[in-house]
Amino acid sequence: MNQDEHISNASELNIRLWQRFKAGDAEALGQLAQTHYRALYNYATKFSSDPDFIRDSIQELYLELWERRNFLSETAFVKSYLLKALRHKLIKESIRLKRFHEPQTAIFDTEPSDPSIETNIIEDEHIRFRNGHLKRIISLLSKRQQEIIYLRFYQNLDNEDIASVMGLGRQSVSNLLYRTLKEIKDIWAPAEFFWVLLFLLS
Amino acid sequence: MSLHRIFTVEELATDESFRRWVMAPTPELDRYWQQWLQQNADRAGVAVRARELVQAVHEIYKDDLSDDMLRHEIAEITRIAGERKAEGRVPFYHRAIWRAAAVLLLTGGLSWLYYTSHNTVAPSGTGQKITLASEMVIKTNATEVEMTVLLSDNSVATLAKGSSIRYPRQFSANERRIYLTGEAFFDVTKNPEQPFLVYTSETVTKVLGTSFRIKAFEGDNTEMVAVKTGRVSVYAKKEYETSQGSIPAGVILNPNQQVVFNRKDNKLEKSGIANPVLLAESAVQKEQVFDDRPVAEAFDALAKAYGISIAYQPETLSNCMISAQFNEENLKQRLNAICQAIGAGYDMEDDRVVISSKGCN
Repeated sequence: MNQDEHISNASELNIRLWQRFKAGDAEALGQLAQTHYRALYNYATKFSSDPDFIRDSIQELYLELWERRNFLSETAFVKSYLLKALRHKLIKESIRLKRFHEPQTAIFDTEPSDPSIETNIIEDEHIRFRNGHLKRIISLLSKRQQEIIYLRFYQNLDNEDIASVMGLGRQSVSNLLYRTLKEIKDIWAPAEFFWVLLFLLS
Repeated sequence: MSLHRIFTVEELATDESFRRWVMAPTPELDRYWQQWLQQNADRAGVAVRARELVQAVHEIYKDDLSDDMLRHEIAEITRIAGERKAEGRVPFYHRAIWRAAAVLLLTGGLSWLYYTSHNTVAPSGTGQKITLASEMVIKTNATEVEMTVLLSDNSVATLAKGSSIRYPRQFSANERRIYLTGEAFFDVTKNPEQPFLVYTSETVTKVLGTSFRIKAFEGDNTEMVAVKTGRVSVYAKKEYETSQGSIPAGVILNPNQQVVFNRKDNKLEKSGIANPVLLAESAVQKEQVFDDRPVAEAFDALAKAYGISIAYQPETLSNCMISAQFNEENLKQRLNAICQAIGAGYDMEDDRVVISSKGCN
């Protein structure tokens, strides 16, 4: 099938879905919710470890959009907008829980400081001897660096969307991402380098 | 698919087709990328790194959402949206309260959002009463009308006549436990870290933040729990108490569902709600209209309608005006709407609502 035809069919379907949503068709909301539900759920698990709370939050997010359907534009269902709205919701709640002196278990947070990865690595004997297991390197990044890596390579957002979701300037995202990738590269020796290389070229 | 040259780890790792090949390869993708590697042999090292990066990120950040759960959640969103539409309730609000109106339409389940941003109430310096936190408070409604009880966590219980509740003056840190005899509607402030538990003679109902009604009169053959908003778990009391440590078998209720406990066969039976009246906080509709009135007047009217006391500083509020119309909204929804409209907060202390405000310009 011709590529252009494919695209126009896909967007036509979305327009129809959008019109049904605007007209108050609850099934259409369900279909729209299905599109990014997994992405939202996954993101939320980085802020809360309570699955009930996460499901309630996402449900509320979509029902809010439903109640406001007469005033919404299509962009409300764009992935980066949804991620941003959910992040906002979850952080608001975690701030409230801090007031109750609850332990924080979030993987990402709004902490603005980013100590160089080397500060963390020096403490980590394991990584010095194994010299560069990627998963370990990422887990040693600052929370903000981890969130950028996550949004870029798990959610596959571009710098502009990352900036919007995290509420940062586009330039700071681009700088931080560049610095983070460089830090990773400096100490990363791909684990299965030769093995995979042989496999790929066979 | 066109053969395009990609040169960096980042570019490869964010290419949709490459990502699919790494995470869920098909023969077609395999063919394409093997061919790509042969034509870009100098990029093999980059491809290996990009592959490991995509895999590592997906392993680190994986979650436990099953297909079943996903289907269930989408069905729930669809169902509740359908019901909200069927209600067709579009109250009219003046502009001043428009933002608050949006909150009301979403029902009380959202009230926690409000507290997170506005709850700045400092403990008011009213009297240094020495009370034991664990001291039990008993409220019995001996009147012929409903009785509104304010709890220290900003939750509200509406007691039917002949009903009584018992609870500690201050809830313990890990749960909010209440004992009920008779019938009550609860509008519970959301706090996932401190579940709200209602004990009756036969059942235990566990919630994180929601509104629901329980009917458990002594002498009746059945007990009933009906849910208006949020998610509620109901357990037979015997099972709940013998299962300490493990997770007891219970029934999970979603909005507009109810469960009936039958004393004779010791069984919980779940169904839809036949009588929508059960889902109202109050049996009597408390219609209120404020058309550009001083907010103090609205607070006084609320206090009168619910038989509670609301404390505020008249001087601070003297410039605050409010326009709102309430029909089916709960007490908490009304308080949330008014407070949000004038940028104030509130807390429930010692059987009264205390308003904190910096005033209006």
